[in-house]
Amino acid sequence: MSSHLQKIRITTAAIALLLSMLGGISGCTSTQTASQTSASLYDEIGGSKTLNTVFGVAINRIYKDPVIGHYFNGVPKSHLRKQLVSQTCELIGGPCVYEGKAMLETHKDLNIKEREFYILVEYVQGAMRDVGLTYQQENQILQKLAPIKYETIYL
Amino acid sequence: MIKAILFCLGFCLISFFSCANTGSRLTATGGITGFEGTAGGGITPWAFISGYGSKEEINGTANVQYLHLNDYTLTTFGASLGIYDRIELSVQRQSLDISSGITSNVFSLLTDGAISAAQSTRIDMDIVSAKVKVLGDGVFTQRSWMPQVAVGAQYKKHRDFDTTLLLPDGSGPLPNQGVARILGAKDDSGTDFFVSATKLYLGHINGFNLLTNLTARYTKANTFGLLGFASENDDSYKVEWEGSLALLTSPSTVIGVEFRTQTNRLGGLAEEDTVTDAFIAYFPNKSFSLTAAYVDLGNLPMQPSSTGFYLTATANF
Repeated sequence: MSSHLQKIRITTAAIALLLSMLGGISGCTSTQTASQTSASLYDEIGGSKTLNTVFGVAINRIYKDPVIGHYFNGVPKSHLRKQLVSQTCELIGGPCVYEGKAMLETHKDLNIKEREFYILVEYVQGAMRDVGLTYQQENQILQKLAPIKYETIYL
Repeated sequence: MIKAILFCLGFCLISFFSCANTGSRLTATGGITGFEGTAGGGITPWAFISGYGSKEEINGTANVQYLHLNDYTLTTFGASLGIYDRIELSVQRQSLDISSGITSNVFSLLTDGAISAAQSTRIDMDIVSAKVKVLGDGVFTQRSWMPQVAVGAQYKKHRDFDTTLLLPDGSGPLPNQGVARILGAKDDSGTDFFVSATKLYLGHINGFNLLTNLTARYTKANTFGLLGFASENDDSYKVEWEGSLALLTSPSTVIGVEFRTQTNRLGGLAEEDTVTDAFIAYFPNKSFSLTAAYVDLGNLPMQPSSTGFYLTATANF
C-alpha cells in the first residue's frame, strides 16, 4: 500500500514537474507575445535583414558542400538567396509574397535524396545558430520550412 | 559478462572518436535505446527507427545500460541496425542480479522460515526485436497532426528459467526452478507485439520542440519477461499502454517523463505496478548520447518500493 502511495506521489511529482515547466514556459509566451500573431516571429528575429544574413551564410556553405553543392551549379547565389528569403519571410508572417516558381516544379526530375535534404536542413540550422537566432526561433522557423521536404525530395 | 560490457564500451568509444558517418537524420531523432534494445525512450519504443540513417542509409547503434533498484540490478547491452529509415533490427542481453537478501526472503516465505538463507542469483534474458515504420514522418510532417507509426515485435528468451536457486551450502532444494518459475510463470520465452505512434511538434511550446509517444503492447510478459511469460491459469495476451512526453530544451538536451502499464498476471509476490520514469538525455553530437533517469518500478518480489537510477549510453555509427 505504502509503495503504491509513494509511487503515485512520485509519478504525480514527475508529471507536475514537467507540466509546470511547460506551463511556465507557455506562460512566458502568453505574456511576451500576448497580442502578437505568427507575424511576430518575422519581426522578432529582425525581419528580412536577418533572413538575408542567415541564408547568405547557409548558401555559402551549401554551395561548397561536396554532396549537394552540384545541385546549384549555374544558380546565382543572389537569386537563390532572394528566393529563400522571400519564401521564409512569407511563411513566418513577414510582409512578403513568394513569387518564385513552385517548389515542386523547381525540384522536379532532380531526384534529390532524403539524405541530401537533411544536409541542407543542417546548414540552415547551423546558419541560424551562427547568426544568433535563439533555439526557439530556429525551431519555429524549421516548423514552417519542414513541409518543404515533400516538395523537394524524390521528384 | 563484464568482458562483454567492456567490449561494448570500447566499441562505443571507438565509434565515438573515429566514426564520422553516423547517418544524416537530425540529432536526437533516433531516440535513445530502451532497456529492451528498441529505439525510443528508456522504457518504451518509439516509432522512430534507431540511429540517424535516412532512406538511403544503413546505420548501427550500440548501447550499455545500468539500472539500480536496491536489491535488484539490471545491466543490459546490445546493438541495433537501422535500415533505410524503415526497418530496425536489434539484439539485447539483459542480466538481472538479485541479491541474496531477496532470495533468502523468498525461501523463508516458501518454507515458513525453515530455510532463511540463500545465495544471490541472476536472470539472463536475450531479446531479438524488429520494428518497421509503416507510415508518417514524425519530424517533417508539421502541417497536420499525423504521427509516425511503427509496428514491432520483441522475442524474449530466458536463459535462467531452469537455473536452480542455491542455498549457502551449495544445495538446491528446488531443482531446476528459477525465480520466474517459482513465482508461477509458465513459459521461458514470449513475443511482445507493439504499435507506436510518435510525433515531434517543432517549435511547439514557446518555440521548444515537444515529443509525444503512445505505444500499445500486446504481451504475455511478467515484469517485462524477466519473471517469465504467462502463468499456469492465464495464458492469454493482454494489451498494455506506454507513453512518453519529452521536451527538447536545447539542441542537445531532452527532458521527459514516461509510463508503462503492466498486466500483473502473477500477482502475489510478483505483483506488477505501472512503471514511471523521469529522464534527461544528452546528445552532444550524432555519435553518442547519454541518458540518466529516475525510475519507479513499484513492486518487485520482496521489494515493494523499487526506485532507482538508470543510465544509458548509446553510440551511433
